[in-house]
Amino acid sequence: MPCYKATGQQHDSTRPVTLVRSLFCWLFGLALIFSPPAAIAGVIVNPGVEGRSISTSSLRNIYTLRQTVWPNRQPIVIFVLPDDNPVHEAFTKEKLGLYPYRLRQIWDRLSFSGMANIPIEVQDENEMRARVRSTPGAIGYSSKDTAHDGIKTLTLE
Amino acid sequence: MMASRRSRWSSLLLGGLLTTTAATADGLVDPRYHIQGFAAQALIGSTNNNFFGDSKDSISTGFTEAGLHGYWQPFDALRLSGQILYRQAGESDEEGLRLDYAQADWQFYRTETTQQGIKFGKVKLPYGLYNETRDVPFTRPSILLPQSIYIDNSRDLLVAAPGLVLHGSTVQDYGAFDYSLGWVRPDFDSEAVEYVVLGVNRPGNLEGKETIGARLRWETPTDTTLMLTYADASADYQPGSPDNLRAGKFEYRNVLASFQQRFDTLTLTAEYGEPHSKLSGFGPWLPDTSRVGQTYYFQGEWRFHPAWELMLRYESLYRNKDDKSGLQFQAATGLPAHGMFTKDWALGLRWDVTPSWMLRAEYHHVDGTGWLPGLDNPSFAAREQRWNMWLLQAAYRF
Repeated sequence: MPCYKATGQQHDSTRPVTLVRSLFCWLFGLALIFSPPAAIAGVIVNPGVEGRSISTSSLRNIYTLRQTVWPNRQPIVIFVLPDDNPVHEAFTKEKLGLYPYRLRQIWDRLSFSGMANIPIEVQDENEMRARVRSTPGAIGYSSKDTAHDGIKTLTLE
Repeated sequence: MMASRRSRWSSLLLGGLLTTTAATADGLVDPRYHIQGFAAQALIGSTNNNFFGDSKDSISTGFTEAGLHGYWQPFDALRLSGQILYRQAGESDEEGLRLDYAQADWQFYRTETTQQGIKFGKVKLPYGLYNETRDVPFTRPSILLPQSIYIDNSRDLLVAAPGLVLHGSTVQDYGAFDYSLGWVRPDFDSEAVEYVVLGVNRPGNLEGKETIGARLRWETPTDTTLMLTYADASADYQPGSPDNLRAGKFEYRNVLASFQQRFDTLTLTAEYGEPHSKLSGFGPWLPDTSRVGQTYYFQGEWRFHPAWELMLRYESLYRNKDDKSGLQFQAATGLPAHGMFTKDWALGLRWDVTPSWMLRAEYHHVDGTGWLPGLDNPSFAAREQRWNMWLLQAAYRF
């Protein structure tokens, strides 16, 4: 059920089929709100963290609090931006394949039952970079894919 | 005995929280502690029966929840956590402020993919999908959890209990797998629980015995959650004086199967259980009974906008699978048949106004009084089979 009109094809909006199609297109349009174009976020870590790349599944396991230590057993410290921050939204959707609300739900269920500590929320990207730079075992993300002093960027496998 | 145990838990938790607060002054640079909390107020209106206060043909403000949660990790392998909860729910829960839980969790094995730990104290009980955070409004799919499975009347049994829980988790290519195995002593000593077990509040007390609980969960790479919970509990009745009941025994056993599938913005959930319950030795006033119930719900949640969610659920509870209509029960006891079942259609809307504020509205169309709170509706004769209920809730978090 395509949401676009083929050239020359005529639609009568009172036809039931077209109404159903309009409804679907409207719903589909709503779904699009979930994925606004935003800067692609890269994964950054504290320079003490070993390795140059990270797998998508490992990144997802870290942010869903299932993986709590790095391969050398150093504890992972997770940094995030607020739920409604566009860079956070881009990161969760594009890198983790999860909506911010879903991630928050996972964190809430684990943290309020005492099974995990929730990620540390920072106010903006400057603070994110500063905290990742200064915290051993830290992981975060950045909208700028450029090199920063004292921060390591991981490539996604 | 009970009181002294409670105060010991409280001082342990408060000690932990105070230490944490002092440390917060350092400027929140240390990721080892965290404090968070929530507060929520509901308005409830209903027809024919009361729910959490005088809601019948009126508006009840009797459902209030607030919590302060603390987490502290003094060493990599040790996690302390606890929650102080304020809860009022009409006549059914007038306890107000209480220690919800306070636990120490020692993670004795931790690698990139696998964790093993043991937690002890007043621990959260693993039961189904929502029990461990049942009082945190933001984690629930609706204002009221499906009562057929998470019946609020017997919440004291399910919330938390002194004991220990062995737990572990692993992430592999086939998905994430975790288990909990608990040995606890649940709290039967509350009016609401007596209502559920004995049908009415009696002069004596129910004393919980050691209980075994287990939960297995598998989250597949296809965004499916499969879970099994096993619970086995019992309580001894200590008659009061005067009391026409003898020192009887209550036994309970349940296997709960949970399923959840997530498709993009749509989440489908179902849980099913057949609770076995048995009363014996209470004497002629409360004949021995052994029955198998049937409880389940189907639920859909649709996040149709980043801040808006629609929920539709059908739930059903039968106290006796072999007497779903309750007519045999009515013939035997003279009590209304509709107390033996409940079928509920619920429709809910959630709006996350900001990351800190949430507003919810919910409507229930109910047939039966199987999970109607007894303390809010003390007269059996006045309870009506068909009733409707709406709820509004505002919740804040920090």
